[in-house]
Amino acid sequence: MFGRDYLGEFEHIIVLALLRLEDRAYGVSVRQEIQLRTSRGVSIGAVYATLARLESKGYVKSHRGDPTPERGGRSKRFFRVTAKGVGAVSRTQRALSRMTEGLHLIGSYA
Amino acid sequence: MTSSQADFVQPPRIAVWLVNFFAPAEEAESIVGDLLEEFTQLASKSGVAIARSWYWGQSVRTIAHLASGFRAAPWTTIAAVVGGFLLIRCGLKLSHTAVEAVLDRYQVWENHFDVYRPWIGITVGMEHVIVTTFVGIIVAAAAKGREMTATSALGLFLSALGVSGALTGVARTTGDGDYGFLWTLPWILASSIAAVVGGAIVRTRRSVAPTRPSAT
Repeated sequence: MFGRDYLGEFEHIIVLALLRLEDRAYGVSVRQEIQLRTSRGVSIGAVYATLARLESKGYVKSHRGDPTPERGGRSKRFFRVTAKGVGAVSRTQRALSRMTEGLHLIGSYA
Repeated sequence: MTSSQADFVQPPRIAVWLVNFFAPAEEAESIVGDLLEEFTQLASKSGVAIARSWYWGQSVRTIAHLASGFRAAPWTTIAAVVGGFLLIRCGLKLSHTAVEAVLDRYQVWENHFDVYRPWIGITVGMEHVIVTTFVGIIVAAAAKGREMTATSALGLFLSALGVSGALTGVARTTGDGDYGFLWTLPWILASSIAAVVGGAIVRTRRSVAPTRPSAT
């Protein structure tokens, strides 16, 4: 029915990172959060490409911070999840929960 | 290394330039800023050599993602390729007409054929390169913010067209047939690069006065 409102795997991870980071979510913090929690090395380009896609779908919004000297006078771009994005992540989570219900994944398929 | 020393360490210039170049205009500032921030952190923690190597790795992977920006703006890319191809065809018709008018004006065929003969191929090739550069500029100007994605897609399309044409020609030529048509292949590839150069010219000019997107 709302097939398009589900998130892809990496989109899902990015949105969860934004929700965790709240108002501190920008490129570096999102990349480091993903790396810390999933041990998955991602490029900043992959993060931005996915964020651009999520923004075009209306799942996230962005705004610019002030330029800072440690960034060579460049500003940060902060991201936050919209209500539509929260709805999408909830639907995706529910779908995953239903799909994994009754499965004993840990250890079984290792 | 102390953090104050690390503050003065700069990431590899070429890598910075490439990321800045391939990133969509609205994202270039944030991406380059993010990379610099992490580079500085890493340089003070693990040393400059490791930080530089990390920067190059991140840049290459980032450019690969940004260059495949087709998914982010598929219609811009398709319009760039189709529109650019049609513009090249129109431009080449006009340039052929202009060249022929000049040759007629000076009666080159009649009076200087032997002198001009070796230059025929080069003239045609140069025509392609010049026209494609201009079309690259037009396409990049139209694809605001995604100049490099649009012109790279056009360049790739022209290369693919040239290579497939050459391969078809080779397949159809039997035995000791005439493979003279292959001389056009380097020029087609040069034209493909010229389209990207056109995009680079526009992108460079726009980078001089970067626009800051409004907060959403």
